[in-house]
Amino acid sequence: MDITTSEVPPQYDEFRKSLQAFIGAHCPPLEWKARTGIRVPEEEHDVALLRQWARAIHDAGYVFDRFADTPGDPYEQRVLEEELGATGIPYVVGNALVAGAIKMFGTPEQRSAHIGPMSRGEQIWTQLFSEPNAGSDLASLQTKGRLDGDEYIINGQKVWSTWAQWADHGYLLARTEPSPGPGGITALILDMKSPGIEIRPLREMTGTTDFNEVFFDDVRVPVANVIGAPGEGWKVASASLATERGGVGRNLSWETVVRLADLARTTSRRGTSLGDDGSVRQQIAAFAARSRIQDHLGKRVETRAENQAVTAWDAPLMKIWFSELNLEMLEYGLDLQGPRSIVAEGDEAAYDDGFLQDAFLYARAWTIAGGSNEVMRNLISERGLGLPREPRGDA
Amino acid sequence: MNFDFDDDQQLLRESVRRFLDERYPLSVTREALEADVVLDRELWRRGAELGWTAMLIPEQHEGGSITSQPLVDLVVLAEELGRTLNPGPLVSTNVVADAIARFGLDEQRSTWLPRIARGEVIATWSLSAEGTPDLEAPGVDAVVSEGGVTLNGTARYVHEAVGAELVLATVRLDGKAACVLVPLPHDGVRVRRHTGLDLTRRFGEITFTGATVPADSVLGGAEVLERAISVATVIKSAEATGAAEILFERTVDYLRDRVQFGRTIGSYQAIKHRLADLLIEVEAMRTATYYAALAVDEGFEDAAEAVATAGSYVPEAFAHLTGESLQLHGGIGFTWEHDVHLFVRRSKSDEPLFGEPSWHRENLFEMLDAATLGESA
Ligand SMILES: Cc1cc2nc3c(=O)[nH]c(=O)nc-3n(C[C@H](O)[C@H](O)[C@H](O)COP(=O)(O)OP(=O)(O)OC[C@H]3O[C@@H](n4cnc5c(N)ncnc54)[C@H](O)[C@@H]3O)c2cc1C
Repeated sequence: MDITTSEVPPQYDEFRKSLQAFIGAHCPPLEWKARTGIRVPEEEHDVALLRQWARAIHDAGYVFDRFADTPGDPYEQRVLEEELGATGIPYVVGNALVAGAIKMFGTPEQRSAHIGPMSRGEQIWTQLFSEPNAGSDLASLQTKGRLDGDEYIINGQKVWSTWAQWADHGYLLARTEPSPGPGGITALILDMKSPGIEIRPLREMTGTTDFNEVFFDDVRVPVANVIGAPGEGWKVASASLATERGGVGRNLSWETVVRLADLARTTSRRGTSLGDDGSVRQQIAAFAARSRIQDHLGKRVETRAENQAVTAWDAPLMKIWFSELNLEMLEYGLDLQGPRSIVAEGDEAAYDDGFLQDAFLYARAWTIAGGSNEVMRNLISERGLGLPREPRGDA
Repeated sequence: MNFDFDDDQQLLRESVRRFLDERYPLSVTREALEADVVLDRELWRRGAELGWTAMLIPEQHEGGSITSQPLVDLVVLAEELGRTLNPGPLVSTNVVADAIARFGLDEQRSTWLPRIARGEVIATWSLSAEGTPDLEAPGVDAVVSEGGVTLNGTARYVHEAVGAELVLATVRLDGKAACVLVPLPHDGVRVRRHTGLDLTRRFGEITFTGATVPADSVLGGAEVLERAISVATVIKSAEATGAAEILFERTVDYLRDRVQFGRTIGSYQAIKHRLADLLIEVEAMRTATYYAALAVDEGFEDAAEAVATAGSYVPEAFAHLTGESLQLHGGIGFTWEHDVHLFVRRSKSDEPLFGEPSWHRENLFEMLDAATLGESA
């Protein structure tokens, strides 16, 4: 067994130092408040700053593997992720899921038209998969693309489209082929400025706006914008979604463990710090153990990926483990605050300006987004354990 | 990144599994427990030839590990023994072998280690009268005497105390922890067998009344105990993981076959989701165990934390899994004939030994508290 990730060698100190200097000089001051999760700016002004930030990173010569044809120096990639990640400011604007799809299935023209601009912050993307009647059962989606010459004419509706309000392009799944179910679906690159698109922002339970409804009324998309081949959309989407599930939420849970320990230390009941309360210590330690196990599980999954031995449960397991631990911890974070938990962001009495209140609400996103945990459990038991599939109904 | 066993360890697994399947499967242990024998010493000796007690013993004393990570090697063995609910004191004997190898005098090493490696000597390990590793609990007190060191008091819940030829007793000496080697049988030492919850293992109570051993029988203090708990936690977790794994497989197989209401019960979503949760639990038990073994072997900075993580998570997950498995078997699971109750008994009986989950969690909180003070996210 060997899980040592080698230390970044000293010859990268120079690289790190110049990166830090670059960050110090260019990292934008956002009006947008730092919150947990995948959050979308509320002000145009912040979006512009994020675009400039991505551009500045690109112009300074920093390249991320997800946008590169060939992987870069692994240590440089690590330093980049560490240093840029530590700023808390997104360095990729929008939903970059499509980059993988274009790299795997796209034409050379599509690659040059989109990968470079994405990495420069010139293109913000949104993922247009879910529909009002096609969520977990994504393959039943009904948005249509009718072939007309060398264009598809798109009609239908998408929902929960994160970043759509600021997006330049959409990664669209539409039904263009006669066969029902997955075989009829095609993945398309959609120009969000095309006539016939209407975007209605939705407000989430957190009070903020990340996702939108998107309506299509005779929207024209060139056939050249098909990713892969017509009817291959399900394959394209599955390949890119697998990468999203695998990546959800790693390391986030430890930050919450630390927040809980802090909260316990600074909160008292009956004259005693909760940090000295046996039941509180037990509960926080139980969370800490699960958070550490999350790291270990990640290493097992990584090992299997490197050995081309990925199992059907790897990604679902990681998603369930993180999202449910996260949710339980944040519920507990409010419990520990007692009556103080009822005040939220903006109230001077709030603990840590209501970070935990917002995170508690947002925790509900992780158990649903990217495939609900129930669907993940179906995947584990059906594809992992080979138990019978849920029967399809005809409702 | 290779968070998995290497080829030599896989070979070890295969050979041990073959031996256990042929010679020492659960059915053999079952027959033995009905006859009240429990541990077959001849089979234990044969197992020792396969390395069950050798991994933490240096080669010059007839031991030897498979790789440079002896605890990881032991994890392989312990998982396999766990799968068959083997009655042998794998934890205790290896803990004592390790303590002698690391902290013993040359003479103690050459007296005991080859015989442990050959399976001729069963060594066991005792904690307090409450079976806990804390010094505050009543237990065995030692005083320096003319003849050496004299022990008085009782230690309970000691694995294979009745059959053992050697015990490493945890005692209180000058108000501090000390670990003392006592050969058995011995003047002033009485052993009583417990009636146990776990039918596949024998536990006992050891009472010391003025038992005197030479002064150099004291291997050391807190450092010996701390190391012993790390080793014990890893092996115990691995036995639990192996047992959980086989019971999970058997449960899934049963649910694939059993039909009610015209369909296999494994096709009901309420059942499928519970099985998905159990699969996650087994994976988590594995990774917590493997990481702890690796961290202790390699002396990682977070080794103590890894031990506390495994020590708190794994036993509770194991007990949860055995309970769920019983429930999913229905009435057959409640019978004496079916094996599932043996797993339920094993999991609940193992859970509090060598440091209860709550004890490990308290340790974990202390480490977290010390590490994160002022390091607010
Ligand atoms: C914060 C957030 C961001 C999102 N961003 C995007 C985005 O950018 N682009 C995009 O395309 N989509 C996005 N989504 C949509 C997300 O993928 C869907 O919400 C999700 O797949 C669930 O679909 P649904 O909402 O239609 O729920 P439904 O499918 O209606 O599910 C409702 C409930 O029924 C359960 N259920 C459904 N089917 C089964 C079954 N077979 N067995 C058992 N239980 C079942 C579900 O688990 C759930 O509890 C986002 C969602 C959230 C919450």
